Amino acid sequence: MVRQNYTATLERNRVFQGEFATEPYECGWASEAIFFVRKLETTGRTVGAKLRVQISADGIRWSDEETVLRLTSAEVDFARVKHFGNFLRLVGKLPKGASARVIVSLSLKE
Amino acid sequence: MEDFRRALLNADPRLGKFDPLSRIIYYDDFDQGYQGWSELIGNYEDDLSSLLPGYEDLRPPMLSNATMWDTGSAGSMEGNYALKLATRAHAGHIAVDLKRVTWRHRGPLRLETYFTFKPEATELRLSETDVRAVGVLFDIQDSENRWMPHLRYLNALNGEQLAKWQFKRYREPLLQIGGTGKTRSHFHLAPTHWEDVPNGRQILCYNEIATKLNWHYMRVDLDLASRHITRLQCNDRIYNLTGVEPMMMPAMANLWCMLNVVFWVETDVNKRAFLYLDSVLLSGEW
Repeated sequence: MVRQNYTATLERNRVFQGEFATEPYECGWASEAIFFVRKLETTGRTVGAKLRVQISADGIRWSDEETVLRLTSAEVDFARVKHFGNFLRLVGKLPKGASARVIVSLSLKE
Repeated sequence: MEDFRRALLNADPRLGKFDPLSRIIYYDDFDQGYQGWSELIGNYEDDLSSLLPGYEDLRPPMLSNATMWDTGSAGSMEGNYALKLATRAHAGHIAVDLKRVTWRHRGPLRLETYFTFKPEATELRLSETDVRAVGVLFDIQDSENRWMPHLRYLNALNGEQLAKWQFKRYREPLLQIGGTGKTRSHFHLAPTHWEDVPNGRQILCYNEIATKLNWHYMRVDLDLASRHITRLQCNDRIYNLTGVEPMMMPAMANLWCMLNVVFWVETDVNKRAFLYLDSVLLSGEW
């Protein structure tokens, strides 16, 4: 049996500005994950912004997992995560005047 | 022969709880993975912003063991995992996921599933009217027509418990997308023009707090030859479908023999609504 792999599109064509969080994603079956952030369009100072991976026991209450995804000038940025339990999300904050229209994908592997 | 076939089905605890027609087209037990179920998206050209608004954000499915903050993981009906559809926490938002195949004979078709639904347990309240609706639709095309049976269980609307089955035959406007003239789209899940299934009221086992799940059986039979919905059953109730009709439209380009099955969940309040599918079986007489 090959290992399961699944990619969920958590956000599509969504504009991040100010504080934001992706929707909770339940993925306890997976043992490794990669968040990909593809920027379709940006305005203002988005380079250098830090997005934080969060974990949760119930999908409601969240804690920083300590992995950070830093936005660069590249089209796609990513962050790898392991040992995360059952729920994952990505949160962040862009400085005033900055925004990013993004596709956020979560690639999961058993 | 039929007795022998039934005995074989009953000998398998996974299939024994279904009543499939002679050919199992697919049997999806979500302990095995996502099994080809994915997020619905509408049609677009050149830019995602050309999507009709209703199609922008219909959410990816998850594999869930129904973990609750108070009692931990509930698991599914058979095994650990169910397919979970989750809305955003905005009243009226819907999550829609589907599986796309094709048919090879215009005869009887049967969909069976074990399902349940709940709101996200963010409040220590019963919350029994927080999920607006759960539903199933088919998107089918033959040489003459595209037809789309739509059925939903309207649990509540604007905080009022309604607990009844509905159908939709009204065709939403078909709109041109982009500039090539090849792409069109209609948001058929719009909340308007739903009609009641005759005597369609049914109280399901919601249970007594937001973190307790009970699984329900649903069966929908279609006749691909006559383009009719021939049976709707949920648990102990079988409905009279006189006058219950599918959405009907002329055949469209690129959809020949299409057979899509689509599930969705809609929230009535600013709280996520979840639909869980333990397993799905599609069978046909072919």
